[in-house]
Amino acid sequence: MSVTSRTRFVNPRLGTYFGIFVSSLLGLLMLLLIFEELGTSDPLLRWAMLLGPIILYAAIGLSAPTREPIEFFAAGRRVPAGYTGLGIGVAAMGATGIVAVTGVFFLIGYDALCLLIGGLAGFVIMTVMLAPFFRKFGTFTVPSYLGRRFESRPVRLLAAGLMAVPALLMLAAELRVGAAAGGWLTGQGQGVVILLMVATFVVTAVLGGMRSLTWSGSAEAIAAVLALLVPVTIVAVMVTNFPLPQLTNGPLLRALMHSEAAQGLPIIDAPALQFALPGEGMAHIAKRFTAPFGAIGPMAFVVTILTVLTGVAASPWLIPRVTMTPGVYETRKSLGWATVYFGLIMLTCAAVAVYMRDFVMDIVKGGVPSSLPEWMQRLVDLGFVAIDSAAPLNYMSFAFDRDSVLLSLPVAAGLPAVFLYFAAAGIVAAALVGISATASAVGNVIAEDVVNGFSWEPLPRDGRLHVARIAMAGIAVAGGAVALVAPTDPLRLLLWSLALAGSTFFPVLVLSIWWKRMNDFGAIAGMASGFAVAVLTILAGEANILGIDGALASILGLPAGTLGAVLASIATPQPSRSVLELVREIRIPGGEVIYDREMRLLRLKSRERSS
Amino acid sequence: MMERKERKPYWRHTKWQLLASVVPFLVLIIVMPLYAESLNGERFLGFPLGYFLSAHGIVVAAIFTVASFVNRQDAIDHWHGAHEDS
Repeated sequence: MSVTSRTRFVNPRLGTYFGIFVSSLLGLLMLLLIFEELGTSDPLLRWAMLLGPIILYAAIGLSAPTREPIEFFAAGRRVPAGYTGLGIGVAAMGATGIVAVTGVFFLIGYDALCLLIGGLAGFVIMTVMLAPFFRKFGTFTVPSYLGRRFESRPVRLLAAGLMAVPALLMLAAELRVGAAAGGWLTGQGQGVVILLMVATFVVTAVLGGMRSLTWSGSAEAIAAVLALLVPVTIVAVMVTNFPLPQLTNGPLLRALMHSEAAQGLPIIDAPALQFALPGEGMAHIAKRFTAPFGAIGPMAFVVTILTVLTGVAASPWLIPRVTMTPGVYETRKSLGWATVYFGLIMLTCAAVAVYMRDFVMDIVKGGVPSSLPEWMQRLVDLGFVAIDSAAPLNYMSFAFDRDSVLLSLPVAAGLPAVFLYFAAAGIVAAALVGISATASAVGNVIAEDVVNGFSWEPLPRDGRLHVARIAMAGIAVAGGAVALVAPTDPLRLLLWSLALAGSTFFPVLVLSIWWKRMNDFGAIAGMASGFAVAVLTILAGEANILGIDGALASILGLPAGTLGAVLASIATPQPSRSVLELVREIRIPGGEVIYDREMRLLRLKSRERSS
Repeated sequence: MMERKERKPYWRHTKWQLLASVVPFLVLIIVMPLYAESLNGERFLGFPLGYFLSAHGIVVAAIFTVASFVNRQDAIDHWHGAHEDS
């Protein structure tokens, strides 16, 4: 059983290594807190908080070099379930998921839950319907899997081309969020921070590929979760005397409901398909926190759940990570961990939103205050909040920067500035996790399925790794350029990316496992129609033609993808016997990993040829 | 390695497990938010119940669904001899 394979493969000292990492990170935090009290200059603290962790990630990345393809592309298939789950849970929405979602929770309250529910459902569907079978197949990329499953090079090339679009959107979103946080922290332009993040990615990726990325990515994910949890937990202790912010904000929420009612915050009934997600920049609190369907209509709520569900479950940059676990059983377990971490992050974001709303409502509760509290003045000075002082002061007088709500909490609670810098460094860490996931996935696809797209036989070992290294670095640089020249709201980019990934790949991936009759024509038609319809819906939504928001593109893209796949498969001949046998084999967890066997046979063949 | 004749019963068993895991969860996440407003009058741990069930409740339901699936599917694998070699 898995117990023995674990002890055989997994490095038993992983816990020690990451224990050392966590201690160093918390040590750095405490050291900087002491320095702040001693009066060290502010820019030094900021740079130390940004660069200290980055040096640690780079050191971890550089200490895991490799020259073996199985290590380079799949981390040797010995990443335990907990670490894989942590990586997937944080990378699913990345820094955008932490920063923008906190702001959205703050501004529209309950309606933001569609993102949380969608992500969780995505992990459930991925665990049950996709990941274990992908692990049994064992290819390093989604296009490689589809190409081999349908024995078709066109399928492989088409999948490679189509997966790059959502992955690049996600990459650009992560770079923008990371650059905003890092730029604020250091006072530098966003270009400098983007350059720094791309350089960090290249340093952590280039020597060890997925092996070094997995371990430095685990460190980044741990840092991101800690930087989110530590300030909020301290605030929770201050406010409720209990260090569980996710579970103890209930009484605050009740008080908040009363003061919101007293302030006359509206209860809105949104039309079924309305999707008024707060955009980037300043926005007012739109509705009461706990009242459902005020900004996002009930139908749009369900469609958003479906969009995020399919996008997360079939995202071509999350699925390949499960091939790094030691086995099928560990793959299932790793997604359980991903669910736990994702739920924890999102509930913490919701708690941050409740605390912030509570702080704001405290100002306006007792009628018109004579002067603003000190922390609110500081938030205004920092540019996180704008106050319209012309009218008498009420909740509508404040406009909040959506992506700064998370950073506002340490200020509002009066914590030392270093906690604020820690939170910003955590955002950069989460962005690095997202960047690693997407850039490495696209880089691997270019190296494996585009450069070598017409051959099932991989390139010779050294050439294969060099191509992958160059591709990963190139994609990261290209993503950086996109993020610089095309400034779009990161949350929108994320939702488009999920809608495109879901519409293009979800029907085809699910059917490729659960429907034997599906053939290569079905795969091509499914991917092409899903992608085309989703792109058209997004464009139509942006141009306000259909009356459907672009982020809800899955509402048409998913049915189009499914119909295309089913109809084209039925109208064309049955798949061959060898394909049917392959599908039967994918469905059974036991036995040799299909891709590894293929590689072993290829090696044997080439040895016979040479002898 | 599993026997050939076990393949069909194994896959049938797996399909039922898929339905048993996914269907209740999907029903929950689509139906639950519709009743959130009327449940918000009640209170649990200080939270308005509708919000609590939609946020914390669905997180717990998702973790429970995955955990029970991992457990049950592993049992199915062993029952039919489809599990991985040790």
